[in-house]
Amino acid sequence: MLVDAPYIPASALEVEAQKAFETPRTGPAFGRRLATLALRGGALAVFVGVLVVFSAAAPFFLTVGNIGNVLGQSAIAGVLAIGLTIVIIAGGSNVVTGGIDLSLAANMGLSAAVYATLVQAGHGDGVAIAGALATGLAIGAVNAAAVTLAGIVPLLATLAVMNVVAGLELVLTQNTVVPASSEFLSALSAGGPFGIPVLAYLLLGFTLVVAAIVQYTPLGLRLYAVGAFPDAARAAGLPVKSFVAGSFLASGLCGGLAGILSVSYLSGSTTGAGDMLLPVVVTALLGTVFSGRLVPTVTGTLLSALFVGFLINGFQLLNISSTLVSGVQGLLILLVVSATTLLGRKENA
Amino acid sequence: MATVALSSLGRGAARYALVAALAAVFALFATLAPGFLTGANLLSVLVNNFALLAIVAIAMTFAVSAGGIDLSVGTAVDFSSFAFVSLVLAGQPVALAALGGLAGGALVGLFNAVLIAGIGISPFLATLGTLFVGRSVQQLLTNGGNPVYLPPAGVPEAFRFLGHGTLAGLPVPLVVTALVIGGAWVVLSRTRFGRVALATGIQASVVRYSGLRLPRITAATYILVSTIAAVVGLILTSTVTVYIPSSGNAFLLNAIGATFIGTTFDPHGRPNVPGTVLGVLLLGVVANGLLLSGLNFYWQQVGTGLLIFSVLAIGFANRKAAGRA
Repeated sequence: MLVDAPYIPASALEVEAQKAFETPRTGPAFGRRLATLALRGGALAVFVGVLVVFSAAAPFFLTVGNIGNVLGQSAIAGVLAIGLTIVIIAGGSNVVTGGIDLSLAANMGLSAAVYATLVQAGHGDGVAIAGALATGLAIGAVNAAAVTLAGIVPLLATLAVMNVVAGLELVLTQNTVVPASSEFLSALSAGGPFGIPVLAYLLLGFTLVVAAIVQYTPLGLRLYAVGAFPDAARAAGLPVKSFVAGSFLASGLCGGLAGILSVSYLSGSTTGAGDMLLPVVVTALLGTVFSGRLVPTVTGTLLSALFVGFLINGFQLLNISSTLVSGVQGLLILLVVSATTLLGRKENA
Repeated sequence: MATVALSSLGRGAARYALVAALAAVFALFATLAPGFLTGANLLSVLVNNFALLAIVAIAMTFAVSAGGIDLSVGTAVDFSSFAFVSLVLAGQPVALAALGGLAGGALVGLFNAVLIAGIGISPFLATLGTLFVGRSVQQLLTNGGNPVYLPPAGVPEAFRFLGHGTLAGLPVPLVVTALVIGGAWVVLSRTRFGRVALATGIQASVVRYSGLRLPRITAATYILVSTIAAVVGLILTSTVTVYIPSSGNAFLLNAIGATFIGTTFDPHGRPNVPGTVLGVLLLGVVANGLLLSGLNFYWQQVGTGLLIFSVLAIGFANRKAAGRA
């Protein structure tokens, strides 16, 4: 049909319709392209600008040690946000009907509690690691089943799972701090080469591996296809549901991994993991502006996690109240999303 | 023929899964928990577990009806509470302070309206941003999140009335809740605005092509949502005579849960006021019943979560079955 189209004599009406469709595209195309470019580069420019301002105001800011600290401190949120990014890629970026995993922060909390409890009960690191990862994976499996088998909207399914998981964490820990120490944990929280924390290397390594899979393999390409064009993906014979289920399993595993990291970071498990949820969601959503085509990417999410990390760190170094951070995060997301929305609207016009 | 009968059965089951769940939970706790079925306890369920959450959930129902979601309902509660307490502290008459509180909440809605209807940001992201900014603003206003107390001596009697008074033998919060529910039901299912809002949620483009002003409807919806939520700020503040920054967020997740549990009550799976009310009732009865049956406090959260999960699973699975047939 499409191939034949040019040979069919177009009626005057169709020509008009074509014109109406194309005029806005030819006119301000240059300006639009410039604006899009500015936005894409803009996110990075803002990032660099913030770094420059902070390093000018606080000389200690741009030292290797401090950068390593920020990387290490961003590790937990970064791993969680990358897990969420996988779900968003596979489910589509419509937050209400598309992919989202609200249970991730609670997952981290329960996995950490499981790890700390197992260590306290005298089990070795091997058992504790397996326990934490299995917990995360199990939560991912429940989400996957709820979304793909029962057909519950991800927002709701993971909201309910979040409540259950947060409750289970309280049941397990009786809302107390469960201290945990082991050789593995101290190795994780130690400083690595060049005075950079091990957690920082872990975050970078983890991002590299996941980014390689998601952005440079056929599997990753299919993941994007499933999220962006589910009907086309289905027509092409892709098992859409398996991909969506797989994305929840992957994010569950990320939750388990983040749980282990948080036990090492805090020398135990503490309650209140739920506070991580919204920052993680923001990090994952903000990540799209650091990607070339304004789509969720793993590297974009890493940049966004580091951006938030540097902001918090810089505020601390400058003695600016940390209460401003959530406000800045909110303004940032509104600013970025407004800009993308306005640009998107022009492109669609 | 058999499949048709089955599908209508499925639809019926989806609709009454909620009522059945409520009845089952009720029967369960009536047998398990000794003090559950007393008049005093049932009244306390209504006042403590139902009233405030119901109002926030009704607000959420409007947002979801119009095809969106409002993560900043708690922020509206907080802003209302802050404005109310500040005005009373400043010596203003309680009635004026209450109006100020409502206006404070509505301000949050106005901010959302500009973002969603004006700029066109998706409601989830817009209200998420509002939530963050709102939290920061509150911390700035209160020197980093300190509660604002009203001195017990200086509290006017009219102020306490909203939280502690009775009207015709009924607690005032419950009366206000009943009024909000009634009003919301009339607006959503009996007025033009309600029909248009629902239509926006089902297919926004149809509303636009019908020549209706979509942005204006959306803006009105979000201002309405925040104003309804602001009522909770007033009642809450009168009950505890203190404003605690960012405390309104406690309602958010349960309000979303109740609203979507309520959609299983509608044959077409749309948000509806009676369904939301039943959803809040279900959550309230479970919270109270679990408490009375002497179960570990922390198991309550697990129980509530499992319950939301099962009702949603039954509702959605039935809807899927009905849709497929």
